[in-house]
Amino acid sequence: MVSDAPALRVENASLRYDRFQALNAVSFSARKGELVTLLGPSGCGKTTLLRAIAGFVPLDSGRVEIEGQDMAGIPPERRDTAMCFQSYALFPHLTVADNIGFGLRQKRLSGSAMTARVEEVAAQVRLSAQLERLPAQLSGGQQQRVALARAMAVRPGVMLFDEPLSNLDAKLRDQVRAEIRSLQRAQGFTAVYVTHDQAEALAMSDLVVVMRAGVVEQMGAPEDIYRRPANRFVADFIGTANIMAAKVVAEDRTNGLYKVATPLGEAVVRSDVPPVAPHVYLCWRPEDARIVSHHETGSLQTNIYRLQVRSRTYLGNLVDLEAGRGESDGESWRIQTHGLGHGASAVNPGDTMTIEIAPERFRFLNEAVT
Amino acid sequence: MATLFRPAERWRNRALILFALVLFFFALVLPFGMAVLWSLVDPSHPWAYPNVLPPVLSFRRWVEIWTTTGLQQALVNSYTVALTVSIATILLALPTAFAFGRMEFRGKAAAQVLTLLPLAMPLFVLAIFYVTILSKLGIYSRFLGIAIGHTVCLLPYAIRLLTVSFSGVRQDLIDAARDLGASRLTVFRHAYLPVLKPGLLAALIIVFILSIEEFAISYIVGAPDFTTVPTILFSYLGYNFIRPSAAAVSLILVVPNVLLMLIAERLLKSAGASGAAGKG
Repeated sequence: MVSDAPALRVENASLRYDRFQALNAVSFSARKGELVTLLGPSGCGKTTLLRAIAGFVPLDSGRVEIEGQDMAGIPPERRDTAMCFQSYALFPHLTVADNIGFGLRQKRLSGSAMTARVEEVAAQVRLSAQLERLPAQLSGGQQQRVALARAMAVRPGVMLFDEPLSNLDAKLRDQVRAEIRSLQRAQGFTAVYVTHDQAEALAMSDLVVVMRAGVVEQMGAPEDIYRRPANRFVADFIGTANIMAAKVVAEDRTNGLYKVATPLGEAVVRSDVPPVAPHVYLCWRPEDARIVSHHETGSLQTNIYRLQVRSRTYLGNLVDLEAGRGESDGESWRIQTHGLGHGASAVNPGDTMTIEIAPERFRFLNEAVT
Repeated sequence: MATLFRPAERWRNRALILFALVLFFFALVLPFGMAVLWSLVDPSHPWAYPNVLPPVLSFRRWVEIWTTTGLQQALVNSYTVALTVSIATILLALPTAFAFGRMEFRGKAAAQVLTLLPLAMPLFVLAIFYVTILSKLGIYSRFLGIAIGHTVCLLPYAIRLLTVSFSGVRQDLIDAARDLGASRLTVFRHAYLPVLKPGLLAALIIVFILSIEEFAISYIVGAPDFTTVPTILFSYLGYNFIRPSAAAVSLILVVPNVLLMLIAERLLKSAGASGAAGKG
């Protein structure tokens, strides 16, 4: 029972600024050693929630529990959390060693124990050679690692990350992302990670909490969120999605087969979950479509669509196509194929191509068309 | 170096440098040079029209002023008042500056304008009514009267300067310190002080200089028995107009202030550097 108690539990957290509902009954929990991301566009309340967990923002209602203990009324300095700030928030007048040791000094650790811990953490983030430097003398990536080390040094119950990678360039971001994740796994710390970058969330998390306008839209493992988005917002926010209004025309619930009418054409959908309404949104991902060559078209019957290519973007590893049924009006869909894959290199704007979408690739959203 | 700029930019830069030099000459070199020359005019050989330079140079004016007037006491008065005023002003300005720099509240903009408004009042007008207030309050000490008057009138400057300093304090550093368990004192030392130090020093020195140079309050409250350097200076510009003596006194008044400004500049730079690079 004790080992099962979540390291962090947020229950019905609500907060209102004047007329703006920043958080509306948000609940989630993180088990020990889990990395949970709060994902959403700016203004969705993710940072406010993180600051509420740290104790900087008092909640109107609901509660935050850290290792089973209610945090109501406990100020940030007495909470067992440590935050990695977006701006790094390193003390500019202190050396790297003094920055990393800052939290330990507040805990009144003995000098030798502190030095040992600082050196240990510095080694983990590969900063042993920079201990006597000042933050201004470090690169952005190094400063980021100092911020990480400073938070890790105190062995907090919960580590809080506030968009820690947003000030790094793209290549470094991927590298630091992998580093944070592997350190988190190796050290086993519990972490809440705020980001607006869905790729970051998918790559790092054990659990993704997708938020919009102070409300949790969906919560789940990265694969769940990507493969089984709950609604149009989640489908669209995480990756790229083709979302179509569909009408169920025939259904075979025992086998999980449904025939639907869509703007793309008639489609057969295989789904374990029945649609929530006869008129429902249907989603598929750009990589779910397969370009079919001419000689196999005759042998295929289901979910074959002829589309005209409207634009083609070469992305190196992928080719991104935009295609629709007519010349240039009406709905269009995004299709991505591997650059080396069949047919994609031969397809140009204006060409007609045939695509196939397997029935299990379609996904009903839990959102009826109104 | 020259290759850094294209010809057009080079000419523009040269023109700007020339303009700065001309400005510097007319604003500083010329007045200072004239003051030095005038203070060295020998009393028995006046400097009059056809002579481009004083006919005889001597330090007799300086010796005369130093030995026969109350200048020594005036210097002591001016500097003790200024020191008291600058410390009192900073201490009184801190809470208001904190509120302006770090808090959001209704009517903040109006309050900020109100604190600056006294600067629009002519000091002479203020001083005349201030004297009556002092006597009503039963404050008869000239020193205290001038010190309080200066403190009140210079508060707007200090509040303004320190507000800027307080608003420069980074909230993320305050948060980071608290998040890591820092006490209030530690938060102040590591998040506030490095940023406030230059502003505190600047405010201290600027208030100090303004107090030393202030005339209206010092004259109206202090005269005739409490003299400061500006009151002595003005006595040479009144009925008994003696330009060489005035030149000497004005140099005595201004030179330390210029030096102080230079020191302040150095302090500000080193304080700014320690905020970013030095260990503090």
